[in-house]
Amino acid sequence: MNLSLLTLELGVIGLALALLLIDLWTPPALTGRLGLAAAIGLLLILALSWNMSGGPPVVGCGGMFARDGLALFFKRLFLAVGVLVVLMGVEYRERLALGFGEFNVILLIALAGMMFAASANDFVLLFVAMELMSVSFYVLVSFQRSRLPSLEAGVKYLILSALAAAFLVFGIALIFGVGNTTNFAALNAEGVRLAQDKLYWLGLLMVLLGLAFKIAAFPLQMWAPDVYQGAPTPVTALLAIGSKAAGFVLLLRVLFVAAPVLAAHWSKLLMLASAVTILYGNLCAIPQRNLKRLLGYSSIANAGYLLLGVAAVNASGAAAVLYYLAGYLFTLAAAFLVICVVMRDNEDIGALAGLSRRSPLLAGALALAMVSLAGVPPLAGFLGKFLLFRALIERGAAESPESFRSYWLAGVAVIGVVISLYYYFAVIRVMYWAKDPPDLSPIIVPARVQIPLAVCLVAMIYLGVMPGAVLAGATEAVKALKF
Amino acid sequence: MKVADYQLSQYLPVLILGIVAVAFAAGTLLLSVLVGKRGRDSRIKDTAYECGMLPVGAGGTRLSVKFYLVAMLFILFDIEVVFLYPWAVIFRSEAGREPGVILGSMIGFMLILFIGYLYALKKGAFDWKH
Repeated sequence: MNLSLLTLELGVIGLALALLLIDLWTPPALTGRLGLAAAIGLLLILALSWNMSGGPPVVGCGGMFARDGLALFFKRLFLAVGVLVVLMGVEYRERLALGFGEFNVILLIALAGMMFAASANDFVLLFVAMELMSVSFYVLVSFQRSRLPSLEAGVKYLILSALAAAFLVFGIALIFGVGNTTNFAALNAEGVRLAQDKLYWLGLLMVLLGLAFKIAAFPLQMWAPDVYQGAPTPVTALLAIGSKAAGFVLLLRVLFVAAPVLAAHWSKLLMLASAVTILYGNLCAIPQRNLKRLLGYSSIANAGYLLLGVAAVNASGAAAVLYYLAGYLFTLAAAFLVICVVMRDNEDIGALAGLSRRSPLLAGALALAMVSLAGVPPLAGFLGKFLLFRALIERGAAESPESFRSYWLAGVAVIGVVISLYYYFAVIRVMYWAKDPPDLSPIIVPARVQIPLAVCLVAMIYLGVMPGAVLAGATEAVKALKF
Repeated sequence: MKVADYQLSQYLPVLILGIVAVAFAAGTLLLSVLVGKRGRDSRIKDTAYECGMLPVGAGGTRLSVKFYLVAMLFILFDIEVVFLYPWAVIFRSEAGREPGVILGSMIGFMLILFIGYLYALKKGAFDWKH
């Protein structure tokens, strides 16, 4: 066993435990500093992760834990989300009422779960990482004990997540029953033989269902709007970005590390799930008035777009998924930072009226985030969607007599994007062109929000205009997968 | 593929046990309907049997949250022992191969639990006066 493999995860867990201890002896007035300390600690670990790049892929800890480009890419993503969400939490502190120290600690543990997920090379580690995330999220989602929507969201998340975990663990049991191993590499080596067994297919299908819950894709997408709306805003951000990204890295690993022999056969099913998810998310988002709920449906639609890249079953599709997630991270983080500051007790879109005059910075940031989500050039969201669509068309061209399926799906996705323009631009319209906004008092934006917001905006534009570096990183990262 | 190669075939006894259990439960119910004599129903006969006491009032009473705390802490430290036993059993054989791993993993586990204990202590979970 090589502990140096786990440096980043141990760093995050150590940080969490240290914060838990320090919080015990910190007077309540100073706990806000602990949030900042957590953010700084995560930044240091993020900086450390740049030191680890390069070197051949290593598999350690009894073949369970893989350290390769893919894992590192996602770990950096998770650490970046962690920094932004912890800073959001500092802004959100007074609304949590109790236990801000514990809030940060559980947040970090959820983050550690995601980082373990990025390295999972065995169904056992996959399950443990997922549960580490889920159990932390049960607590985080219902953290505002005295607020009824938060509790309701917590109960919903608990029950549905348990349902998904049941699918997942039953699927793993079937796979183990047939293959006599839970290791991805060993399953891949036996792939051709296992593919003849229908129970193996059933097991994989159940694992995919369990993962569909995490990424909020059809058919296990219905929890997202309710939970996103009820959870405290920083937790919603972590669910929307981190939990979804963790689901996707596990999906990529299961399909293209454990069962690449079968991956092409799943393509049809993934395409169907993707089409339904895109249409469901976009159509249901239209009548929403609550911004967090709207982002919940938008998150479902985005899971659909990301599934395009997985359904394409090629390297450019997987790289597009990675790039899209990087862009999605900064876009959604900007949106949730603004929600955190502006929407104190009223989360209705109407509460944004006149924001352009109350705080041009916040209005501009939210507008840019919405434009990026809608997929308008030159922002990150546009190029991400473009790359996903291109990968799908490539897939279509590759299987030429049956290419109609890919083209159909691309058509559905384009229709989804057109529908989404309506509700994203409705948000912008309220901020800039609302008639007689009721409240015009200027909003003072503290530096701890200004700085991460500026980083998000710069990253959104940078990723859209100069995608070279991140795209090269993504292309390099997906070399860990087999197609 | 022969049936014997099949991993799941090992679970055949479990399946048989399940079938027997269901058949026994259903069989006794069916048998009592077929063979038994139907008695007369009355309200008193339909009440829940509470050791001869009259079942009056709400089913559950409110308990202090401390009981839940104690239960949670008990489970926490109970699990610790659950892990310690198998660890102690395999310690001698494992220590010959990789002494650092077997000792280090348990020390890490105990350290995390100890931090949890400190947390519970400092938060007053063991304080019964309040």
